[in-house]
Amino acid sequence: MLTYILRRLALMVPTLIGMTLMLFVIVRFAPGVGSGPGGLGPGGDMQGNEARLEQIKKHQQRLGMVDAEGNKIPIYKQYFIWLDNTFKFWRVPMASNVRIPTPIPTGIDLGESMQYRKPVWELVKERVPTTATLNIISIFFVYLIALPGGMLAAAKRGRSFDVAWGLTTLALYSLPTMWIGSMLIGFLANPQYVKLFPAAGLHATDTRYMTFWQYSFDYMWHLVLPIITMTYAGFAYLSKQMRASMLDNLSQDYARTAKAKGLSGFVVATRHVFRNSLLPLITIATGIIPGLIGGSVIIETMFSIKGMGELAFRSTLARDLPVMQALGLISGVLVLVSYLITDLCYAVADPRVSYD
Amino acid sequence: MTQPANNLATAAVAPVADAPSRSFWEVAIGAYKRRIINRIAFCWILFLLLLAVFVPFLANGQPFTIELKRTVNGSETWLREWPLFAQLTALDLILLFVSACAVAYYFIFKRLGREYAEREKRFTARALALVIVIGAAISCSVPTLIWRTTPLNPYDYRTYQQMLQTGDARGAVFTVVHWGYGEQEPLRAQRRFEGPSRDHWLGTDGNGRDALSRLLWSSRVVMGIGFIAISISLAIGVVIGGFMGYFVRKVDLIGMRLVEIFESIPVFILILIFIAFYGRNIIMIMVILGITGWTGIARFVRAEFLKLRKQDYVQAAKAIGLPLHRVLFRHMLPNGLTPVIVVVTFGIAGTVMSESALSFLGVGVEPPTPSWGSMLNEAGNPAEEFRWWLAIAPGLMIFLTVFAYNIIGEGLRDAIDPRLNKIR
Repeated sequence: MLTYILRRLALMVPTLIGMTLMLFVIVRFAPGVGSGPGGLGPGGDMQGNEARLEQIKKHQQRLGMVDAEGNKIPIYKQYFIWLDNTFKFWRVPMASNVRIPTPIPTGIDLGESMQYRKPVWELVKERVPTTATLNIISIFFVYLIALPGGMLAAAKRGRSFDVAWGLTTLALYSLPTMWIGSMLIGFLANPQYVKLFPAAGLHATDTRYMTFWQYSFDYMWHLVLPIITMTYAGFAYLSKQMRASMLDNLSQDYARTAKAKGLSGFVVATRHVFRNSLLPLITIATGIIPGLIGGSVIIETMFSIKGMGELAFRSTLARDLPVMQALGLISGVLVLVSYLITDLCYAVADPRVSYD
Repeated sequence: MTQPANNLATAAVAPVADAPSRSFWEVAIGAYKRRIINRIAFCWILFLLLLAVFVPFLANGQPFTIELKRTVNGSETWLREWPLFAQLTALDLILLFVSACAVAYYFIFKRLGREYAEREKRFTARALALVIVIGAAISCSVPTLIWRTTPLNPYDYRTYQQMLQTGDARGAVFTVVHWGYGEQEPLRAQRRFEGPSRDHWLGTDGNGRDALSRLLWSSRVVMGIGFIAISISLAIGVVIGGFMGYFVRKVDLIGMRLVEIFESIPVFILILIFIAFYGRNIIMIMVILGITGWTGIARFVRAEFLKLRKQDYVQAAKAIGLPLHRVLFRHMLPNGLTPVIVVVTFGIAGTVMSESALSFLGVGVEPPTPSWGSMLNEAGNPAEEFRWWLAIAPGLMIFLTVFAYNIIGEGLRDAIDPRLNKIR
C-alpha cells in the first residue's frame, strides 16, 4: 500500500511539471502578452511615448521576461524563473535577506492580480467559500434525487419507469444552463413578469438591520434560482452510474441467496445491494473536490455571484495573466489529489482491490 | 466494413451460426432503429445538416428572381435578374457541391455494390466510390474558393420592397424569410428589440436584425463547429491513444501523463485561457475546442487497442511481417474505432454546448456571425427588460440539438455494446 502511494506520488510529479509547462507555454507564446496590463486596452502610440515604454518594461520585468537592465531573457530561463517564483524554491534564513536555494518548494506564491491589484491568493480566499457553499448545496440535492432514481430505475429495469427516467435525466442533462438561467431570471425575477426571486447576488443590498433569521431567509431566497440551475443537469450521470452498479450487484449470487432466504425485494435492494453498489460512486464522490473550488463560470456570471467561476471569466476578459495561471494550477493540483484519494478510497473500501 | 470487423461481429453479436448474411453494421443499425426516439433524433440532426446547406434559399434578403426597370440606350426595358444566385458566397457553393457529392456517393456506391457483390470486393467498391466523389468535390471546391468573389450588392429586402411599390421592379419571388442574417432595420425605423410581428416572425435583436433568419443561419455555425472540432479531437485522440495502446510500457506511461495534464485543468477554464490569449475567430474556436477535447477519445482508443493487440489476427498480421502502419491503421483501427463513434457523438454534444456557452458569455464566435448562444445573450440581463423572443427559440434549438446528439450516442452505445444485447 505504502509503495503504491509513493509510486502514485512520484507519477504526479511529471504531470505537475507538464501542467506548469503547458500553462506557461500557452500564456507566454500568446501574441501581445508582454505589451502591458490588460493587453486589450489602448496602447497609445508606441514610438516616443516614454511613460508607456517604461510601463511595458516594468510589466515585462514583473513577468520575468526581461532582467533589471532590460535585456531579454531566453524563454526556457523564463520558465524556470516563473517556477522558482511560484513554488519558492528558496528559503530566507532569519535576520538576513539572502535567498538560499532549496531543492524542494517551500511555499506557493501565486503572484498579484493585474486588474484587482491584490495577491491572487487573497482573491481566491475571498471567493472559495461562496463557490463551495453553492456547490455543496447543489451536490446534496443531486445525490438526494439521483440515487433513489437510479435505484428505482434498476429495480424496474426495462419497464416504462426505467425508460422514462433515463430519458428525463438525459433531457435535463442536455438543457443548456444559460437557457434555463435566463428564462428563470427573465420570468421569475423580473418586474415585467413575476418578481418572485431576486435576480442577482447572494444578499440583499442592505443587510445591516436584518435579524439573524431574516438574514438567513434572505440568503436562502437568493440561493434558490442558482441552485436550481446548478442542480438539474447533474442527475443523469450519477443515476446512470447508480443504476448500472445496482444491476451489476442484483445479478450476483449473494443477492439471489438473500432473495431465496425469503427477504422481500425491497429489503434485498436497500440492505444488501445498495451498500455494495455505492463502491463505484467513490469515483464520482471524490471527483467533486475540484468541482467545489472550480465553480461554474456561466451560472456565477449570469447571477452576478462573486465566486471562482466569475473570477476566471473576469480575468479572461482582462487577460489577467497571473490569475488565470493560478486558477489553472490550483484546479490542476486539486484534480490530481482527488485522483489519488479516489484510488486510496477504493483500496480502503474494497479489500479485493490490490495495487501491486 | 472490412473483414476483421465481420469476424468481431460474428463472435460478439451473432452467436447463431446460420445467419451469416447480416454484417456487424446491419445488426447495429437494426438495433438502433428499434427505438422510435433514436430515429427522431437522427432525423433532427439530418434536418439541421440540410438547413445548414440550404439556408441561403430559406432566409435571404435577396429575391430568387426579380424584374428591374433599367434604361438601356435611352429606352426603358425590363431586365430579369437573379440576385440570390449572384450573391451566393464561396462557402454556400462549396456546401452545395459537397452535399451533391454525398448524394452522388450514395448512388455510385449502390451501383458499384451491385457489380462487386461479394463481400471481399465491397471495400474496393466503397473506396472507388469515395475516390470518385472526393475528387469531384475537391475539383469543384478549390477553384470556387480561389476565384469566387461575391459582388457587392447594396440592395436588401427593404430596398427591393420600395422598388416594387414605386413600380421600378416587378415579378419578384422572395425566400420564405426575407431577411439575411446581417441585414439591419435602419436605425431611424426604431425597430430594435421588437417583439414578433408580421415582418419579423421572431422579432428583432439589438441591431434590428431578424431573429428567425439568424436562428436559421446559426445552424451552419453549430454544425460546422461540432464536426470540425470533433474531427481535430478525433485525429489527435486516435493517434495518441492508438500508440499508447499498441506500444504499452513507456509510450503508454508518457501518453497517460499527457492525458492527465490536459484532464487536470477543467476544460472550460482551459478553453477560457486559450481564448483569452489567442483571440476568438471561428477557426480559433474550432481549434481550441478540438485540442481541449481529445483526452476522452484517447483514453477510449487506448483501452480498445490494449484489448485488440492480443487478438490472433493482429498477432498474425505482425507475424507475416506487415509494416507497423498497416497493422495499426488497416487491421486494428477499423475494429478499435467502432465504439469510439459513441464517444464522438457525445463529444459533438459537448462541443455544441461549449460553443453556445462561449457565445453566451460573449467570447464565442465574432459578432456578425449568428450563433444561438449569442442570441440568448441578447435576451437581456437582470437589469433590463426580458426579451423572451430572443430567449425561447435559440435555447430550444440548443437543447434539441444537444439532446439529439446525446440520444444518438446512447442509442449507438446500446446498439453496439454486445453485453447489452446479451441481456435482452
